[in-house]
Amino acid sequence: MFSQLNRRFIQFSIFLAALFVFTGLVSAAFPAHQGFVNDFANVLDQRSKAEMQLLGERLWKEQGIGLVVVTVSTTAPMEPKEYTTALFNEWGVGGPEDSGLLMLLAVAEGAIEVEPGYGLEGVLPDGLIGAVIDQEGMPHFRKRDYGPGLAAMAVAYANILAGEKYEIAEEKSPNSGWLLSFAIFILIVVLMRRGRRYPPGGTGGVGGGGSRRGPVIITRMPRGGGFGGGFGGGSRPSGGFGGGRSGGGGAGRRF
Amino acid sequence: MKKGTVVLIVVAVIVLLLGSSVVKRYNQLVALEQTVEGSWAQVENQLQRRADLIPNLVNTVRGYASHEEQVFADVADARSRLLGARTPEAQMEANQGLDSALGRLLAISEAYPELKADASFIRLQDELAGTENRIATERMRFNQSVQTWNTTIRQFPTRLIASLMGFEPKPFFEVAPGAREVPQVEF
Repeated sequence: MFSQLNRRFIQFSIFLAALFVFTGLVSAAFPAHQGFVNDFANVLDQRSKAEMQLLGERLWKEQGIGLVVVTVSTTAPMEPKEYTTALFNEWGVGGPEDSGLLMLLAVAEGAIEVEPGYGLEGVLPDGLIGAVIDQEGMPHFRKRDYGPGLAAMAVAYANILAGEKYEIAEEKSPNSGWLLSFAIFILIVVLMRRGRRYPPGGTGGVGGGGSRRGPVIITRMPRGGGFGGGFGGGSRPSGGFGGGRSGGGGAGRRF
Repeated sequence: MKKGTVVLIVVAVIVLLLGSSVVKRYNQLVALEQTVEGSWAQVENQLQRRADLIPNLVNTVRGYASHEEQVFADVADARSRLLGARTPEAQMEANQGLDSALGRLLAISEAYPELKADASFIRLQDELAGTENRIATERMRFNQSVQTWNTTIRQFPTRLIASLMGFEPKPFFEVAPGAREVPQVEF
C-alpha cells in the first residue's frame, strides 16, 4: 500500500519535472524584435544593417513580405533550427499571410538558418534557400564577415521574391538550347506582365531599362483590400510582425 | 395539482440545463477531435512531401553509386510501405522504416566526394532536411493537440460524455530513440 503510494508520488514528480522542462523550453524568453534587422549579437556593420533595413522596408511596402534578419550570440539550450522556428512563430514574422522569411545567424554555433513562412514555401523551396546560403553567404561567413554575407543573401532572396531567376552554379555547363527557350519564355512573361495594369504603388519596383538587375517581375501582390491608407508608413502598422507562421522548413549551414 | 406543476417545471429546468451543458461539452470534444485530425493531416502532408522527394534523391545517388542496389531497393520498399499505410499508427511505423533506410542512403554519399559536391544532390539534401524539420514541427503540434485531447476526455465531467460516446485516448507520434539525425549539409 505504502510502496504503491510512493511509486505514485515518484511518477507524479517525474511528470511535474518533465512539465517544467517542457514549458521552460517552449517559453524560453525571446527578445522583443527591433524591426527588420535585429543585431542582438552586435556583429553587423552599419552599412550592411542599413542596406538590410531598407530592403526589409521596401519588401514589406511593395509586396507585403517580411524579411527579418536576426543575429544572436547563442541559441542554447535550443538547436539553432529549433530556435529559428520558435522565434519565427513567436514574432509572427510576415504577418497574417505567413509571408515572412527569417534569417538567423548564431555566432557561437557558427550557424546560419533561413526559414520561410507557409506563404513563401512555394516561391522559395528549401533547395533554393540553401543554394543562396552557399553562394552568397558562406564565402563571407567563413571569413566571419557576417554583415556583408547576410546582406548579400537578403538581396538574393529579395530578387527571387521579386520574380527573378536565381542562377545556381552547376558544375556541368547548362544546355544552351534549354537556356534560350527559358529566356524567351521569361521575355514573353515580362512583356505580358508589362501590358497589365497594376494598382498604383504596386509596380513601384519596376524601374527603367537601365537598371542593372533588369526588369523586376512582381509575382506576389499583397492580398486584401486594406491598402488605401497611403504608404506613409501607417498603412501596415504591424511592420511584418504578428500572426505569421512557419512550419519549420528552410535550410541551414554550419561554418 | 399546483405542487405537481412546480415539480414538473423544476425537473424540466434541470433537464434543460444538464442537456445544454452536455451538448456544449460534446461539441467541444468534437472540435478538439477535429483539431487532432487536422494536425495529423499536416503531419501526413509532410510525410508525403518527403516520400515525393525520394525518387529524385535515389536517382541522383544512383548516378554516382550505381552498384549500391540493396540500399536503393530498401528505400523504395520503405517508401511504398509508407505510401500504402492507411492508419496513423501504420504510418508512424512505416515512417521509422523509411528513416533508417534513408539514413543508409545518405551514408553512401560520404564515400563519394563527387556526389557530395553535386549541386542537385545538395539541393535535394536541403529539401530533405527542410522536410524533416517540417515533420518535426508538425509532429510537435500534433502531439500537443493529442495531449489536449487526452487530458480533456479524462477530466470530469467530460469523461462521462466521452465514455458514453466512445471517445478514446489517441496515441502520440513518438520518435524511436536513436532515430536518425536530420542530415546536415556541411563543407
